Formats: sequence, structure tokens, C-alpha cells
Amino acid sequence: MNSLDIHMRHVEGAAVIYPGAYLNQLRGESIERCCLELLDSGVRHIVINFSETELINSIGISILLGVIEAVNEARGTLVLASLNPSNRELFAMLGLDAHVRIADGEEAALSDLYRELQSTAV
Amino acid sequence: MSLTMRKMLHNFSALAELGTEISSTHDFDEVVRASLHMLLGTLAIPRGAIARYSHEPQQLKVVAAKGLQKAVGQKIALCREEVAHLTRHAEPLTLQAEQNGLSEFVHRNSEVFKRLRAHTSVPMVARGELMGMILLSEKFTREDYDAEDIEIINTIARHIAIAFYNHRLMVALRRKAEENQRLYREMHEIYRDTVKAFGAAIDLKDAYTSGHSERVGRYSEAIARELGVADQQLDYITVAGYLHDIGKITVDRAIINNPRPLTDREFKELNKHAATGYEILSHIRHPWDEIAQMAGSHHEKFDGTGYPRGLSGEAIPLGARIVTLADSFDAMMTDRPYRARLPLDRALADLARNTGTQFCPTVVAAFCRLLLKEITGMTRERVFLPMIGIKFDRAAISATLSEMILEFEPQRLAG
Repeated sequence: MNSLDIHMRHVEGAAVIYPGAYLNQLRGESIERCCLELLDSGVRHIVINFSETELINSIGISILLGVIEAVNEARGTLVLASLNPSNRELFAMLGLDAHVRIADGEEAALSDLYRELQSTAV
Repeated sequence: MSLTMRKMLHNFSALAELGTEISSTHDFDEVVRASLHMLLGTLAIPRGAIARYSHEPQQLKVVAAKGLQKAVGQKIALCREEVAHLTRHAEPLTLQAEQNGLSEFVHRNSEVFKRLRAHTSVPMVARGELMGMILLSEKFTREDYDAEDIEIINTIARHIAIAFYNHRLMVALRRKAEENQRLYREMHEIYRDTVKAFGAAIDLKDAYTSGHSERVGRYSEAIARELGVADQQLDYITVAGYLHDIGKITVDRAIINNPRPLTDREFKELNKHAATGYEILSHIRHPWDEIAQMAGSHHEKFDGTGYPRGLSGEAIPLGARIVTLADSFDAMMTDRPYRARLPLDRALADLARNTGTQFCPTVVAAFCRLLLKEITGMTRERVFLPMIGIKFDRAAISATLSEMILEFEPQRLAG
């Protein structure tokens, strides 16, 4: 899968990525590449919407670790949205919930980001 | 669900996924990369690499990496004692510590380990052999690896080591198979050349038939292929074509080269060559019994009036029916002690007249199709034309061949 084929949308000052089930296989590496491209192009705030991701497996976690590190290194913000309870538990179990923001849904994630952007601007 | 239970389930599913990946038919590099991801994802480790061990030169070379720039291809040097130590103690080794008996190994490769951001190394051992090493960074949470983590790392490392071991076996087997195929091809060429040389030796006995056996071999091969014969059967028919006259080596040269009409006794002597040919070839083990049958029956006639056994129709092996036609056509197209070569239209008329009595109609139709394709340029192959030459009326011959195809084609035989 090419990073251009990833379901993604740009919103004001941020980008939302929809990984679906692609995350759980080697092809999911393109999601990490997509995030790196976004960061290179100046996007600093990324939301990953997991509403279509029923399960995150070990490959998915490995890929997400790369994304988290890349966003942190670029001093950006990553928000994981719409994680189902099982995936949320997985993040907690691995201790990752302390290192990324987690929002209930995409709207909440974006509102959170806008609030932060506005406060930074002020 | 309790945290312990959740963790166990997570680890079990990672192992199950690893098992599926390792036994998959994916490209091996992909399997290794996916396995590395699975290990890293299971314990939330951000960076890691897998290095493959090679005896010659004795080193570990990174073949897959995650979260590291330019890691693939990095080499880790080690000596024989270190290999033995790693094989015996296939346990995770903290690279910062020097209490493990491998301080020199760690010290010597400290730069590479630094570049690979390696905190822990895990030897991969399968069936008592070092297959490679997994290099892991710290966990994402910076927590130390606990006993449970070490267990998981060891288990996954053993799985990946077995995958490497099996892959090496597969590669060796594939190489062996390729080598055997190459040897077989070479032997087959030698065999074909030997058969051709035999054919040429047979032809030397007859001053008028230089190249006859080789042409009959080539004609037989082309006709058989046109009839859809393939693989070994095609090979047998070709060989039967080359060796159909092998029995002539026992016939007196004076009879073979006699320019006058042969006496009954001489005919009898000459006609023995088909049965003698069968005798010579049938003593060679399979598949030569089949080839012997074909070569020994090339003077049988479709209506049962031929020799040596008076076989008829499909009781005559298809290969023999093909060789009969190839042999006769070449005889018609070459000068003989008792007559000059026939013009092509005469030869075709003779073939047509004797089809159904001497020749098998299906074989004649296949021959006509081939010849027509060559004459009309529908094929670039030149099997018959070199012998036929260019002095004939193309339109008339094409018409004759088309008529013969129409006449004999419907009587196709299964062979």
C-alpha cells in the first residue's frame, strides 16, 4: 500500500488518518511513512481515528510506536481517537496511554487540538 | 478482564500470529521483518534489528530493522569461542553489563551496538546452531525487561531461529534441485549428441544416405510435436527417428550400397535390419523398450502388410508410424543408387496414394500441415524446406497439401 492510498483528510492545521485494518500488517508501515510525510510538510497535529479498527495486533503496536516517536521528535501532537475498549485496554497494558493523548472520538480529538492551538496563539 | 489475563492473551495472539507468519509462503525477508514487528509490538519496544549469522565470513549481519536508520547491512564481528558461548547460553544479554562472559564481544562491537541503539541482544539458536541475533532497544516506557518479558523474547527468538534454520534448509534444497536440473540438462544434451553421433555412424555405412538418420530424427520430432506429443514421449520419438536404421550396422555394406536391383536373398538380409534394430535397442533398459518398439516397427504398414510383425493400424506405435513417414519422405527426396530423387509433387502423390495402406492418415495430415506452414511462411521453422529446396510450384504444392489435409484430417487417431 502506498502512503498516498491511505484514507486521510486534512482539517484546519491538522490531519486525520483512518488506518482501518491496514495497521495490522506490514503494509501498515505506509501509515508511519504517511505521518512522516505530514510532519515533513509542516503538519504538527495528527489524529488517528480507530473507529474502523476492531483490533490492533503486535504489528500495529510496533507501527504506532514509530508514529508516536516521530510526532514526539517533531514536537507535534498525536491524538488517538475512537479506540474501542479492547484497544484502549491494550494501550494501558503496554503503558502507552501515558505517552499519547487519547480521545473518545474524532470531534473531541479535534476540539482538543483547536483549544490547544488557540491557547498557543494567545 | 484482569491485567495479567489481558497480557497473556496479547502474548498468545502475538505468538499465534508469529506462527502463521513463519509458516506462510511470504517472501522470507518479509517474514523476518514481520516477525521483528511482532516481537517489538508485543512488548512495546520502539527499535530493534535481526542479524543473520554466517560462518564464512564469521559474522552477524543485520537483515531487518525497525526504527533505525541505515541499520540493514551493519555487521557484528564475533569469534568461534563467542559463537560457542552464544549457542550454549541462548539467553537475552544486556549489552551494557559485562558480567556475562562476552565482555570482549560487547566491547569490540560497541560502536555498532550504539548505532543500532541496542540495549539487549538475544541469540537465535535452532538445533544447537547459532542462526543469528535479535537486538532490542529499551522498552518504550523505559521500564526494565521483567522475567515475563524475557520469557516472551526467548520464545519468539526460538521461533524466528527455527524459521531461519528451515529457510536455510529450503535454500540448500532449492540449490540442490537447481544443480540436479542443470546436470540433467547437461546429461540430456550429451545423450542427444550421442544418439545423433550413432545416427551419423549408421549413415556412414551407406554412401547415399548421408544425414538421413538426423533428418528422420528431426522430421519425426516436428511431426510428433504437430500431433501434440510432448515431453518424454516427444524425446523417445525423436530418438527412434535418429536410430531407426541401427539394425543396418549388421547388414553387409555391399548389399546396402548395391546399385542393382536386390536379389530375394539380399532383400531378406536387408529387411532383417528392423528386427535387428529392435534387438539392439531392447536390451537397453526403460525407456528404451518403447524406443526399440518404435524403431523396430518403422517398416510396418498401416494395412498390416509390412514387416517384421505385420502389425496394422493403431497396433503400430504412433512413434513408429511417424518414423515410417519421415523415413519414406526423406528417401523420396534423396538420390538413391537405383533412382534419382523425386520431384516434390511426385513425392506427395506417392504419399497420398499410399496413405491408409502404408502410411497412417493422421500422421500424413500432420506432415502436410507442417509442410504447408513452411511453404506459405506461416512458421519461421525450417524443418523440411532445406531438403526440398525452392524448385517447385508453390501454388500447386500448397493446393495439393490443402487437399491432402482435407482428405486425411478427419481420420485423426488418438495415438
